[in-house]
Amino acid sequence: MTTTGTATREPRGEPTGSGFESLAEREKAVRELVARTCLTMDAYDFAGYLDLCHPDFRYTITTYSPELRKDITWLDHDFAGMETLLEVLPLHASDHFLRLVMSRHLGVYTVAYSENDTRAAVVSGLQVFNTARDGGVTELLAVAKYHDVVALEGGEAKLLVREVRLDTRMLGETGSLIPF
Amino acid sequence: MARTGTQWRTRPNLPLTHYVDPRVYTDRSIFEEEREKILEKTWAIVCHESEAPNAYDFRRCQHMSGKELLVVRGKDMKIRVFYNQCPHRGNVLAYEPSGNARRITCIFHLWSFDTKGNCVEITREKEGFQDRLSRKDVGLREVRSETDMGGFVWVNVDDDCGPLDAFLGDSTEFLRGELTAAPLEIMCYHKAIVPTNYKLWHDTNRDLYHEFLHRQNRLIAMGQPGYLDRRYHLHVHGHVTADPSVNSYENIEKGSGVERRMGWPGGESALHKLCNLFPTVTYNMRPPALRIDTMVPLGPEETIVEFRGLGVKGDSPEERRERLRDYNSFWGPFGRNLPEDFIAIVGQSIGLNHGRGSPYILHGREEETPHSEVCIRHYFAEWSRMMGRTAADPFGELPAVAAE
Repeated sequence: MTTTGTATREPRGEPTGSGFESLAEREKAVRELVARTCLTMDAYDFAGYLDLCHPDFRYTITTYSPELRKDITWLDHDFAGMETLLEVLPLHASDHFLRLVMSRHLGVYTVAYSENDTRAAVVSGLQVFNTARDGGVTELLAVAKYHDVVALEGGEAKLLVREVRLDTRMLGETGSLIPF
Repeated sequence: MARTGTQWRTRPNLPLTHYVDPRVYTDRSIFEEEREKILEKTWAIVCHESEAPNAYDFRRCQHMSGKELLVVRGKDMKIRVFYNQCPHRGNVLAYEPSGNARRITCIFHLWSFDTKGNCVEITREKEGFQDRLSRKDVGLREVRSETDMGGFVWVNVDDDCGPLDAFLGDSTEFLRGELTAAPLEIMCYHKAIVPTNYKLWHDTNRDLYHEFLHRQNRLIAMGQPGYLDRRYHLHVHGHVTADPSVNSYENIEKGSGVERRMGWPGGESALHKLCNLFPTVTYNMRPPALRIDTMVPLGPEETIVEFRGLGVKGDSPEERRERLRDYNSFWGPFGRNLPEDFIAIVGQSIGLNHGRGSPYILHGREEETPHSEVCIRHYFAEWSRMMGRTAADPFGELPAVAAE
């Protein structure tokens, strides 16, 4: 695995095994993919989000419970499960949630590539904010990390695995119907 | 027809049992009296025995009365429950939510206690207390506890209370098969602090009329044959159960590739059973998982609601994953039902406006279906008995009511 820092230090103009024209293009694709997953979810553009995901997508929300002294999983979906969830969310009374302005603030910490250059492991810091329509007050809902695996195939980046690893375990007053 | 202010404030032409004064949900003096007369006098679940599975495990909990508790499993594997408080200066003994310790030692002055609550060390004991006070005088305060009804740790902080069995009566009988066929194990836990009165959460748990709120319930239960043929059953001490609903899950996981095939030992996989226990506990058995709600009221308009998901001890990893996935899809913090319930009761609290909103809250539906509000009326009958107040007129402001 090769861990890269900023794009400015990377060699340019060298084709990669995963079909990108250069390492810089590969890095840009990975970082943009992770950012776009946030932007599409912020916009409740669920179809756009799913377009960013690999057919073998696996999504989990996990945390460590000091009460039980073990890891617990709060959401666990494959691509089809995620697709179903996102399809039905607008049908819930949760249209309350769709009226919230959710904002995912992201900082990519590390990107590590596999030897054969077809996978990137990405760790990002995440804060999720809710802004109410009425009055516009913004509240921090959760602090977490994304542990992502990005599939790099044919010059394209797709989200293969996302584990949302929560620090926050008490999610506002209501929890959240909308995944992070 | 819209109403004028006078009409809005006029009480409904219903028996006093069929509505309540909103101040029972918001008034500080009523809340303090509830603590004294109800919350410190009745049994409530504080955790499950699997949260302290090994000798010397401890679990820090809060009782609904507000008492800080420490649940401890001794070397003899017996569970005992103490105030989580050092008898010296009153500091909490355990800061962590759970752990394992042969001795419970206060961080402040290093006084130590064993798992039976005996004080086993006072630092510089003789120098400070000479013969005026010794370890035997400063044991921990143990409270009444019983581990029952599926391995839950029940606590009553009143030393003079009756046994748990007498409190529950026959209310949990219809769950006995599910709760005794195999040992249970905690799968997941979360809690929320909600700006609302604890009774509003319990009202919602009792009230199956609110299933209209949930798309999931409309799909799996409300359209099923026989749904409205069910009845509530009223039990001692304000407890209530409803005939089980027969659920169908054909529509909710379409396209996900997930097939519901798991049931629950001792129960039928399609049956959903609810048991609401006065004043703060709900058993919600919907195979393949059991949900337990408990509450710690912090004030008249602030409540900790705790949710526990239980599976079967000895589940394979695949079974556990499936139980968890199903539980969380409804009842996890990212589930489809629980956030909706929270929206509703937070909205109700906003509408109550600290007791200055609606002049009364209706619990007046009478029908031989699960949409009757007899379930809530039964709660307030017990509440009124224990409080010595009428929920419809808690301050005796209506002359006609006061005379009754």
